[in-house]
Amino acid sequence: MELTVNSVSCTVQSPPLTSLLTVLREELDITSPKAGCESGGCGACTVLVDGQPRRSCLTALCTLDGSEVTTVEGLGTPEDLSRVQQAFIHHYAAQCGFCTDGLIVAATAYVGGGGSADTGDIGEALAGHYCRCTGYVKILEAVAAVARGDTFDTASTASSANNTYVTIAGAES
Amino acid sequence: MAVHRGKGLATVEYPTGMNQNGDPSQAWIKVKPDGRVDVFSGTADIGNGSKTVQSQIVAETIGVPYDWVTYDNSNTDSSPMCTGTFASRATFVAGNAVLKAARQVRERILAVASRELEIDPADLEVADGSVSVKGTPAKSMGVDEVAGAATFVHGELLTGDGAHLNPGAAIIDPTTGEVDKPPHAAISYAACTAEVEVDDETGDVRVLSLTQAYDIGRAMNPTLVEGQIDGGAVMGLGFGLLEDCYPYYPTAEHRGDGMNTYHVPTMAELPEIKNVLMENPSSGGPYGAKGIGEMSNNAQPAAIANAIHDAVGVWVTEFPITPERVLAALDAKSEGRSEPRREGRVVAFDEELSINSFTSAKTWGA
Repeated sequence: MELTVNSVSCTVQSPPLTSLLTVLREELDITSPKAGCESGGCGACTVLVDGQPRRSCLTALCTLDGSEVTTVEGLGTPEDLSRVQQAFIHHYAAQCGFCTDGLIVAATAYVGGGGSADTGDIGEALAGHYCRCTGYVKILEAVAAVARGDTFDTASTASSANNTYVTIAGAES
Repeated sequence: MAVHRGKGLATVEYPTGMNQNGDPSQAWIKVKPDGRVDVFSGTADIGNGSKTVQSQIVAETIGVPYDWVTYDNSNTDSSPMCTGTFASRATFVAGNAVLKAARQVRERILAVASRELEIDPADLEVADGSVSVKGTPAKSMGVDEVAGAATFVHGELLTGDGAHLNPGAAIIDPTTGEVDKPPHAAISYAACTAEVEVDDETGDVRVLSLTQAYDIGRAMNPTLVEGQIDGGAVMGLGFGLLEDCYPYYPTAEHRGDGMNTYHVPTMAELPEIKNVLMENPSSGGPYGAKGIGEMSNNAQPAAIANAIHDAVGVWVTEFPITPERVLAALDAKSEGRSEPRREGRVVAFDEELSINSFTSAKTWGA
């Protein structure tokens, strides 16, 4: 089976019904797609197949001959991050990181397809991705910022508008 | 048939800084000859950011840049003992352990620098990786130079160790439960208001907004605290409306056994979340910190239940508040059966029910 993975042509040897997730992780050692539920429910394994987000856990290898597969590793390098990657850093849109790779891939497809900065649109587009740590707020801010065309300083962290700090001076308890 | 709006409030009082003895954290620190700091602690980072926060505590306490600090919890042989990351204890208890170890390291850096600079250690201070004379910043030497001198001139190793163990409180009056010392190291407080829409035809509940206030002691890392509180709100939303701790609803064979059947909130259900973070320093926590991990998902389910009562006048007394339970409560109300607020089934933990729910199709309570 011939695949182009992150712009590299490769011949894969796994049996035809092997999931793309297993091919990527076990045969090609590309570990950004995460094995979450492995039944299409959580979104952590999402990769781009010919530019479209796909659950790699539900995608059989035999359906992919000649396809182009892109994972987070293929979106940018540490020196040259993609805009979505920059946004996730600047808006601190991750905590444990397990859902992050799938979300970055899906957000890349969303923004690349001309997706708007409207929170309802983003929520609908990314509702297939579970995050159990950080509650979507900063993820949504990051994706909206990319859709708006913001530029990102990855050396600093954006503060979220939904938080107000109150200091109680001298009230040690 | 209509959609009704309602608002509800709930509050939380939450003990942080795991107490009652037996839950210690330990840490030790060594400084390499180039001044870089290795922290060894058993506190696992389960995605909560405790490596980041504890490295911050060490960097701040010693007086070196954050990126000089390496936090190593790679294995339980090389790291000292820590009870674990749970009960909102990592920042409070383990943070105190690394704080104490870092203070020792700072003292030893000052002692060596004192000999190098021939100045009393009380007149020296450490900041940004440099030891300088108070009031005379021009006279200084880098912590890297101090560590090099300790290693190659004085034949010393700059280390520190620390441990934290809160004393247990003993009950001195069985009648009132009075104890001989404060049973908790720090109490955090929170309040949450929920605004909901309830459809009295379908029983659907939609949470429009969650506005919350948290007493966090001190935000050691504001971005992480905000993420923790946003995440807790969404977990609370799940506990309130979707997720069942006992996977038996309505019977065992319908239980969720994976992320495609155990439904949790998604970005599409994300309500507007507004947080007020109150910095009310604790006296016992490192730099005034309290724990924020677990309390952040406690208030939302109750606030949602109260908002539902405000909207349609029924108390739903079991979580999750599914459309079926809302409709059952509305039916009972319309049929004149009262649903008293306090007569819901209270199951703190029932081993038999729990085992039944996993091993048979028996409908519990039937």
